Amino acid sequence: MPTVLSLYVANMKEFIRDRAALFWTFAFPIVFIVMFGAIFSGSGSHTYNVGLVNQDDGPVSATLANTFEHHVSSFDVKSGDFDTEMNALKQGDLDLVIVLPAGLSQTVAAGHTAQAQMYLDPSRSPTDAQTAESIVSAVLDGYNKAAIKATQPLALNVNSITSHSLSSIDFLMPGILAMSLMQLGLFATATPLVSLREEGVLRRLGATPLPRWQLISGQLLMRLTIGLVQAALIIGLSVSMFHVHIQGNYLALAGMTVLGALSFIGLGYLIAAFAKSVESASGISSAVNFPMMFLSGVFFPVALLPAFLAPVVKALPLTYLADGFRQISVGGTPLFPIWVDVAVLAGWGIVCTALAARFFKWE
Amino acid sequence: MGMQEPAIVVEDLHKTYGATKAVDGISFTVGLGEIFGMLGPNGAGKSTTIEIVEGLRVADSGVVTVLGLKQPRAARAIKSRIGIQLQTTSLYPRLTVTEILDLFHQFYPNRQTLSTEQLISMVDLSEKKDTRSKQLSGGQKQRLSVALAMVNDPDIVFLDEPTTGMDPQARRALWDVVEGLKRQGKTILLTTHYMEEAEQLCDRVAIVDHGHVIEVGSPRELVQRHFSEIAISFQAPDGADGYQALAGASHAVREEGKVTVYSNDAPRTMAALLERESVNGGALRDLNVHSATLEDVFLKLTGRALRD
Repeated sequence: MPTVLSLYVANMKEFIRDRAALFWTFAFPIVFIVMFGAIFSGSGSHTYNVGLVNQDDGPVSATLANTFEHHVSSFDVKSGDFDTEMNALKQGDLDLVIVLPAGLSQTVAAGHTAQAQMYLDPSRSPTDAQTAESIVSAVLDGYNKAAIKATQPLALNVNSITSHSLSSIDFLMPGILAMSLMQLGLFATATPLVSLREEGVLRRLGATPLPRWQLISGQLLMRLTIGLVQAALIIGLSVSMFHVHIQGNYLALAGMTVLGALSFIGLGYLIAAFAKSVESASGISSAVNFPMMFLSGVFFPVALLPAFLAPVVKALPLTYLADGFRQISVGGTPLFPIWVDVAVLAGWGIVCTALAARFFKWE
Repeated sequence: MGMQEPAIVVEDLHKTYGATKAVDGISFTVGLGEIFGMLGPNGAGKSTTIEIVEGLRVADSGVVTVLGLKQPRAARAIKSRIGIQLQTTSLYPRLTVTEILDLFHQFYPNRQTLSTEQLISMVDLSEKKDTRSKQLSGGQKQRLSVALAMVNDPDIVFLDEPTTGMDPQARRALWDVVEGLKRQGKTILLTTHYMEEAEQLCDRVAIVDHGHVIEVGSPRELVQRHFSEIAISFQAPDGADGYQALAGASHAVREEGKVTVYSNDAPRTMAALLERESVNGGALRDLNVHSATLEDVFLKLTGRALRD
């Protein structure tokens, strides 16, 4: 058996026999996905619970009410009076309330612009709020255009190519997948390597004719295996338990996993090259981990971040990995073309590894 | 038959760490098939020297030749011919003794190796061959590290403080192993700060202190070179002095509370000592009479004790 393979097997045995490490490595992403999946998944298609308050008794509001009730498939509309519906909204039983105020039809008939009111709570789900707003606007727009009675030069026919609309878990899963690979590279690589150095293990192995690249390769293959198993677990659970639909092909997904893992393992090696102690490696890893978790579009779209953070977002490798996964797996709106994602991750991986090779201290 | 080339030649080695001169002009030669010891207290420069000879460190200046090859240029070639015993308590803690030895075989592809079975029986770990390394006792871990040093059936074995922290039984077990290695014709370079270890095991000893080699010779030679005398040691209060004037005494050395008087005529010096103490009304505490040991040699040469 080639030496690298022997080292790989030895590393895998060492890992598998460490029950605590085994637990934390695989339980952590599982818990994340199950938690987030349970909180954020619906039946698959997102239906909005809408409260309709029609205070007007004219033809315009009747038409609008009819449209909302019967012609918007993602709206589940209940009619009621203002106080009841607003209470329900505040309780969280409704996603939004539409109010057609008294005098609306009269104002329109008189040739003036009438205001319809919409109430919602964007903090509960910013993405849903945006979507709901655009649906309501579209309905009003449709009325406006029909009222002008001119033939529209353009009309849009929307064909959904997904079997159901994008739910939050669809957005989250690629982010969580990316995050777990990042943590593989940081905590599961940097800290153990520094620990090996501190304990004199690297030195003992260096006292043999074993070439260093073989030692590193044995380690690398082991981490890669772990990363792939984690990815499989995350994707498997998301698909089976939470009906996340994988659009892209699994081969591309596997390729992205390997690329992302190598990229962050490279970063982990770089940290291990410079960290002088296990505590320091741990600290640096945390300092790198937390900003990326929140600024790279793992839990919410980067569009929601303030504009001044945009350069920071673009500089973080996790942004590209999350984006890449999102595009391949669920067909989410891309931040960058996929080749840019691949190039940036490959670049990060190569540069980090080269620097690590140059500066790594074995004692 | 011509003279065999020595196993190791060290010429004028120097190594500085920051402000500390760890190795300050050390030179010595180790012949093939001998057990050579470097004896000295902690911080004497022994470990640094042995690491330089092993190729784990690079000297600032000096020449190191191992089996005719020069360090550090031929480091890789030398590594496949030597065995290094390093204290790593956490080398693959969850792999068994057998698994670790099997793995290390892979690191010496171009070399005839000893089988894992042979190695395990050589260091007497047969009962523990399927035990995970973290579950071994301290002494057993040391024996495992000696076995690891022997995987490639090396010509030279390096042992750095091999019995530190071991109980006397474990220590003796290891000494047996080392003597077994010598019987196989291996050359051994070891460092130690235990006098008994140097006396028991070594063919020749270099006394090392503060980065220098002070003297080299067999343990017996070193003692005879310096002491034809007997050593009489005891606890003496501060200020008590003048012991070298006792009848038959050649000189006296004080090390904190302990005085050692060296004498060519022990009975006369003993009598004189006892008389002096009875006259002064004192009692001799911890009285010990022995022929000189390497510890005495070290004390004489450096004015300090070997042990911390």
